Amino acid sequence: MNKRTLLTIAMVVAVALLAFAPLQAQDGAVLNVAWPYTVPPTGHFNTFAANGMVLGQYQDLHEPPLAVLLWASGEYEGMAADSFGWDADGNYVVTLVDGVTWSDGSAMTADDLMATFNLFRLRGDAVWASLTGIEKVDDMTVKFVMDAPSSLAERLILITNLRPASVYGDLADRAAMLEPGDEWDALLAELTEFRPEVPVSGGPYKIDPASITEANLMMDLNPGGFASDIQNFDQVRVWNGETEVVTPLVANEELWYITHGIPPTTEEAFSSQGIDIVRSGMNNGPGLYVNFAVYPLNLVEVRQAIAYAIDREQNGFVSLGESGVAVEYMDGMSDGLSEAWLSDETLDSLNTYSYDPDKATELLTSVGFSKNDDGVWVDDQGNTLSFELTFPQEFADWSAAAENVTAQLNDFGFDITARGVPFQQHPQEVYDGNFQMAIRNWGLGDPIPARSYLEAYNRYNGQGEVAGEAGSVGIGFDNNVSYSGGEINVFDVSNESAQGVDHDVQAALVTELAVSYNELLPAIPLWERYTNNALNRNFLSLPDVSDPTFANFGGGADNWMTYFILTGQVAPAS
Amino acid sequence: MISETPDVIAATGQASMVDRLYDSVMNIYRNHTFRVTIQAIITVWAVITFTFFLIRLMPGNPIDVLVEQIMVAEGIPYQDAYDRVAASFDFDPDASAIDQYFDWFSDVLRLDLGTSITSPGTRVVDEIARFLPWTLFAVGTGLLVSFVLGIVLGMMMAYYRNSPLDHILSLFASFMTGIPNYIWGLLIVIVLGIQFNLFNVGALRGTYDVSTTPGFNLPFIKSAFEHAFLPIVTYVVSTLGGWMLNMKSSTMSVLNDDYVNVAEARGLKDSRIITAYVGRNAALPLFTQLTISIGFVLGSGVVIEEIFVYWGLGHYLFASITTRDYTSMQGVFVILVITVVFANLIADLTYGFLDPRVRVSGQK
Repeated sequence: MNKRTLLTIAMVVAVALLAFAPLQAQDGAVLNVAWPYTVPPTGHFNTFAANGMVLGQYQDLHEPPLAVLLWASGEYEGMAADSFGWDADGNYVVTLVDGVTWSDGSAMTADDLMATFNLFRLRGDAVWASLTGIEKVDDMTVKFVMDAPSSLAERLILITNLRPASVYGDLADRAAMLEPGDEWDALLAELTEFRPEVPVSGGPYKIDPASITEANLMMDLNPGGFASDIQNFDQVRVWNGETEVVTPLVANEELWYITHGIPPTTEEAFSSQGIDIVRSGMNNGPGLYVNFAVYPLNLVEVRQAIAYAIDREQNGFVSLGESGVAVEYMDGMSDGLSEAWLSDETLDSLNTYSYDPDKATELLTSVGFSKNDDGVWVDDQGNTLSFELTFPQEFADWSAAAENVTAQLNDFGFDITARGVPFQQHPQEVYDGNFQMAIRNWGLGDPIPARSYLEAYNRYNGQGEVAGEAGSVGIGFDNNVSYSGGEINVFDVSNESAQGVDHDVQAALVTELAVSYNELLPAIPLWERYTNNALNRNFLSLPDVSDPTFANFGGGADNWMTYFILTGQVAPAS
Repeated sequence: MISETPDVIAATGQASMVDRLYDSVMNIYRNHTFRVTIQAIITVWAVITFTFFLIRLMPGNPIDVLVEQIMVAEGIPYQDAYDRVAASFDFDPDASAIDQYFDWFSDVLRLDLGTSITSPGTRVVDEIARFLPWTLFAVGTGLLVSFVLGIVLGMMMAYYRNSPLDHILSLFASFMTGIPNYIWGLLIVIVLGIQFNLFNVGALRGTYDVSTTPGFNLPFIKSAFEHAFLPIVTYVVSTLGGWMLNMKSSTMSVLNDDYVNVAEARGLKDSRIITAYVGRNAALPLFTQLTISIGFVLGSGVVIEEIFVYWGLGHYLFASITTRDYTSMQGVFVILVITVVFANLIADLTYGFLDPRVRVSGQK
């Protein structure tokens, strides 16, 4: 190789390096947040269809919600809805804020509400299980007709993000005229394949279609949109990606707020940079489910012994650090919901199943179990307590919880083998009853207790039949239970507890559910997942974390960040 | 003299026609190009048929996956999520796989790869057309740069074998080969991007700057190169070592050949010996590898495209697998299989043109 060749190579490399000029992000009054989305053509602007550019909780910024529930007070605060409530006939009436316009220039009116809910009906949304019809009362008001008032229906109505009739009105009008049948199916297919050319926003910001890349998209201020006059940012940049993709951006301070779950080591790194980690209870977490068809897991004493034999604080900490908070009340809903719905007397009466191996030993001995020479428990039929514990292998925190539970129970004298299952398959195995022990979620990220209980009593207990898994048994728990308070059907009571609007009546039903769950342990909650949202206050000014709004769940409806944005409380840091 | 009856003549004529037809068919079949082309087509059909059923044996289905995603993201109950998804998807998880296969394959024969399950109404062809060019650009450029550098450095290593340069480059090549491309990608982002702040991590994401107009214009081309720079560097550093070591080995075997000694004895210039005698012959086996590598180019960028948020076909395949979007997955596999099989076919057919010895041997 001569000098000329070497020189040529060096020049090629130099030219390549010169061509690469580091780009600089242009940050004026731009709010940087993140949510994973799909770029066109897979992604699109039909927010009724899968892969629509909804943007998670940031949907509130372009399709405003009717109201936000403030979890600390239990009160709804109107957003796009100016007023809302029950009328004398037990119907729900919503009146929209006057003077708001969509980004296409049309006014936000009752037609938008009608269009939204008519398409919900076509799509089969759960709110229509409570509704018998909707009526336009005047230009700004819609009446939701139902047979009986229901706090669940109220919630489903109020957390709705409003869509523009100017875009969806034609489809919605046709949907309103139809009943299920061939035409209905054809219209549903038309809805799912409908692709609006541009996104139309009624919120403070509107998506700029030309800005969409796989890296990020821009939302520009939307004059005339809801709350647009109180915004402190000209634009919102939504970075695209899951945790591993957005983490470098947070570390680089290009991204200022994420709702993505981050591992404890990343938390530490962010904290050392001066980035706040904001924790809010998510009302759910991993729990240990057992198959009631597998003896002796169907014995309540065995499940209680398992609960005593697990150090839940250790399990939570090794799984998710400070965001894995051990469940205290063990009643099937989060500790926060327990304190909101149960009396102090009831709370005191609940068994907290604090870590106590001796108590666990006592319970197993009481049903005739003993340990063999190898130190493994043997049941009254002579079989060792050998089980397989499955878990969704891609979920890092749940995998850690499963491994730790396995280690703790084996230390106690069980013989458990943990096996990871692809996350797409794992719930199906539970629905099918094809498991012995499994890690699945207890509770749900929703403030209505019934929805938490229905995870155990419905979703994992035979609902697979609804999901096309005919004959599925799930965990095989008998919903007709007998406990210290009497005999109840926990599925029925769960549903009843979400009906009506009398809080005291609902609380009494929730108490039955909590106490019976606590005694029978249809599943064993391990820890509640708290958010660990990274929030960089070097760039963002918003209320202190002591503000009660931070009690709101950090993802989905009622998100505290979007609430602060919609109320003009987020601004660039000075 | 025995006269033949008309029947015999006719029968003989038919027999000779059959023989001629048979000979014609056999001649066509004996034609190497025809035979390997037919084999390639059969291979493509067999593999895409196999993958069709393999995909449907994967645990989970598109509905289940999206139900879980919606539940986690929005905190809504299973039933609500299921109702919404089931209403949105034109997909029946209980439909016969055989029926699905024949429907799908008849569409493929009409060059229609169907529509995405998870984005109803979106044609898979359009999605692939959206992502494929960027993968071809980044991985193709990376492969080309790495191949050329590998050839040059490999030859240097062989020429200066047992010298300090050879030892350093051999160590370097072994080190580079031993580290997978995703580790290189993470190191580039974390060390160079975040620790040393040599570039703006966020601004280099994506495939081009949206302020430019896609087309044959300098701002767009510059932007495309800027955004592809890090993926290309990753592809280069992760594959360069392999080319270097292969080229070194190949060159060393050529250096021992008589014609090289004769060329040196004739007093030819080193540059001529390197390019016309050694380099050309040593690179021939690597050219075959390069052709085959091009076939694997499309599927090799899955993790890199995720790390750099440089979305090409790899990202599309990854997303399709995660969401169990069968038609999208199948569409990508069709492209991959056709590319791999036909890249091999092209390598097979063109080798004779590159190596006269093979061509002459074939003629004999």
